Amino acid sequence: MPEAEAIRLAQQGDAAAFERLYRLHNRRVYSLCLRMVSNTAEAEDLTQEAFLQLFRKIATFRGESAFSTWLHRLAVNVVLMKLRKKSGNESSLEELTEPDEDSGGPRRDFGGPDLRLSGSIDRVNLQRAVDQLPPGYKSVFVLHDVQGYEHNEIAEIMDCSIGNSKSQLHKARMRLRELLHEALRAQAREERKAASADSGGKD
Amino acid sequence: MATITCREVLAHLEPWMEGERPLDLQAHLRTCAHCSSVVNDLESIHTEASSWSAAEQDAPERVWTSLRAQLEQEGLIRDAIPAHEDAAKAQAPRAGWFSSLFPRLPRPVLAGAYLAALVAVAFALSGPVNKRVNEARWLKGTQVSTSPLSAQLDFDEQNSNSYVTRANPAVTASLHQNLALVDKYIALCEKSVNEEPQNEVARDYLYEAYQQKADLLTQMTERGENVQ
Repeated sequence: MPEAEAIRLAQQGDAAAFERLYRLHNRRVYSLCLRMVSNTAEAEDLTQEAFLQLFRKIATFRGESAFSTWLHRLAVNVVLMKLRKKSGNESSLEELTEPDEDSGGPRRDFGGPDLRLSGSIDRVNLQRAVDQLPPGYKSVFVLHDVQGYEHNEIAEIMDCSIGNSKSQLHKARMRLRELLHEALRAQAREERKAASADSGGKD
Repeated sequence: MATITCREVLAHLEPWMEGERPLDLQAHLRTCAHCSSVVNDLESIHTEASSWSAAEQDAPERVWTSLRAQLEQEGLIRDAIPAHEDAAKAQAPRAGWFSSLFPRLPRPVLAGAYLAALVAVAFALSGPVNKRVNEARWLKGTQVSTSPLSAQLDFDEQNSNSYVTRANPAVTASLHQNLALVDKYIALCEKSVNEEPQNEVARDYLYEAYQQKADLLTQMTERGENVQ
């Protein structure tokens, strides 16, 4: 059943059409949620909630935007609302994408030790760094760099301008670089500590 | 020779990552190890993140099961369709599907089949509970093990009906009444298990309900065969 037909039938409450739409899109939505919260149980709940909202509102879908964009918009909002509740933060979504520039700006990149990340980035340490991003940065980063959405689509999903999407993505990457450097330095410190403990023990 | 400063490079990094390659920035990156290191890092982050999409997986089946139950509860869908039925079965009306089985029903020897099915399900249900390593595996096991039994009982019910009609009408009516009660009980138990799949008590009740139905169907078949 093609997606357009499934949408039409789902708008009439057809159970098979609902399932078809779920099967078509659940992987991307679940992956988005999983990257955003890094917890399978929470990601499952959020996926369910996103689809529930989708199916509650499907009668209002008029096709002005791509169905997947519309669904992702719902999913991102569900995740961001969850993260806001979790942190007890009542700030707006705009604030979630705009942390204080003084603590996360690129100026720090000039003056720190000139370490190279190349070769030291893997799935685990990058995900750890992504987990520490502010929710708004995280959304744009996951949508663009992980899921491959274009800035015009992200702008629609996140309800922001294309320029804003580009800017948030750049800040997210710069912040990730900073977090990865911090992790690298911490690891180097630990290794030095362990080495000095070893040599102390031998003396 | 570099024509822009390191600080000016920062303003150009965002378009650089979008694919723009101004000549002055290229010249700077050739001569500045630090800025070139920043660009390399950003590109490595992008490359690593891009590779994640290849490992994307579907949400576990329980998400759809739970979602479907919620949609049914809210009355958002009509003709609720079991998750694992194929499209042809899903699109056919339930009554039509049952009636289509009648012309080609083999003569059933149901009692043995019921027992075998129940033993298999009892093993599938109780084993993971006692030995489960994690909740996810257990939940999946529950869903996988109960669905075939439910389908088997539905199928066997049709077989029994074709035999029991040959019995005494009063007995037939009584059996059907009991069957309706057991079905109602099963529906309640399934609802409880769907709402709380990890609840062992709810699961045990569902198992007992299935067993009651199996016993009843066995009685119906035996009575039907006795009057032949």
